[in-house]
Amino acid sequence: MLRAGLLVTCIAVSAQEGHPLVGSWHGDRGTGPKNRTDVTLIMDWDGTQITGVVNPGFESMKLQNARLTPKDWSVHFELDSKDAAGKVARCMVDGKIDRLGSDQRTLTGTWLCGNVKQDFKLTRDRDYSH
Amino acid sequence: MRKGLFGVSLVVAIVAVSMWSAPFDAQTPAAGAQPGARGGRDGAVGDQGGGRAGRGGRGGRGAAPAGPSKPTPRWPDGRVNLSQVPGVKGFWNVMTGSPIAPAGLPGNLTLDQVPFQDWSRALYEYRRQRGGLDDPHVRCQPAGGMRFFTVPNGMEFIDQPELQRIFILDGENRDWRRIAMEPGRKHPSEDDLIPSYFGDSIGHWEGDTLVVDTVGFNEKFWFIRGGLPHTRFMHLIERFTRINFDTLRYQVTIDDKGAYTRPWSGGWDIPWQYTNYDGSPGGEIHEYFCIDNERDAQHFAGR
Repeated sequence: MLRAGLLVTCIAVSAQEGHPLVGSWHGDRGTGPKNRTDVTLIMDWDGTQITGVVNPGFESMKLQNARLTPKDWSVHFELDSKDAAGKVARCMVDGKIDRLGSDQRTLTGTWLCGNVKQDFKLTRDRDYSH
Repeated sequence: MRKGLFGVSLVVAIVAVSMWSAPFDAQTPAAGAQPGARGGRDGAVGDQGGGRAGRGGRGGRGAAPAGPSKPTPRWPDGRVNLSQVPGVKGFWNVMTGSPIAPAGLPGNLTLDQVPFQDWSRALYEYRRQRGGLDDPHVRCQPAGGMRFFTVPNGMEFIDQPELQRIFILDGENRDWRRIAMEPGRKHPSEDDLIPSYFGDSIGHWEGDTLVVDTVGFNEKFWFIRGGLPHTRFMHLIERFTRINFDTLRYQVTIDDKGAYTRPWSGGWDIPWQYTNYDGSPGGEIHEYFCIDNERDAQHFAGR
């Protein structure tokens, strides 16, 4: 019954069928299962460039040098993050898209800020818009 | 692992067969010229699929007069009539069609010539390898863009010159498009456009050809079977020419800076059908709603 309900939910919403990175993604990053930080990532594609922002709001971080490698659907972007002391650290984020054809594709990989290496997993939000 | 791969393969095979009963047939020329062409919801697998001959009945030309087609019909004011004429029922059998050679019109590009961006080519290949498993249309999403003219269940034009508009009615899910024919009309600004499956369409006549300019598409659909990618930047220029009574020539230019490196064009011919869709006398579009007979979702284990 639960599976049937999930299936109905899956078929009632729409995927984003354009550029596979476009949209909003949610998930977390951290050094282990008990040390996680929520992440929201918004990405867009203007035909030549991937743009986006991590954690939109007062502490948002703009994506830099973002690129998608279609050969293996790997993704790279960089951003400047402030640590607890307010010091800016360059973060290098490298991941890979999985379940490319799904309305809830995922992006997983490593999130390296300074010397701190974390893993991350993000899931693209379903599209309930027009 | 082997069991998992087998399972995925089986699902892909089942879905492919259930979604499209016609096989991939890249050698079939001139999609619209196939008597008895039949497919599932979309005619054939792959963008090069041009339909398939045989079977007759559902989707057949049905009682087409022998010999050459009658000339293009016209309204009393001389304009081309894109739909029925008094005393002759029928509709356009839009079941098949592709803008990619070897299907469709002689000038169509081959797949290698389509000016994909790197990501869109890779995504298209991924979709082909998945056998259409991820196709939104098989989950009853509308057939937006040029796919409107490749789904079964018939299509007709309703021309209302006094209201400066033309409707295109599709039997598939009873979808319809509205073509604004008001001289000088402009599309809404990008900020005011609400992305949609069928976009904002403005038409005008160039001689005997109806030219329709459409922008404002959403990204929730595949704009042709097989999954050629598009983005919200897609701009279509469609040209409809009734070259004789029995043939509507559809030509389209795809301008999408988000997915392709330059605009490109293709087209196919759409045949007139004189009978009902099941081959019985009548020549009228019947009611069809995908959601009434949705049986594919149970096979979507691979998503």
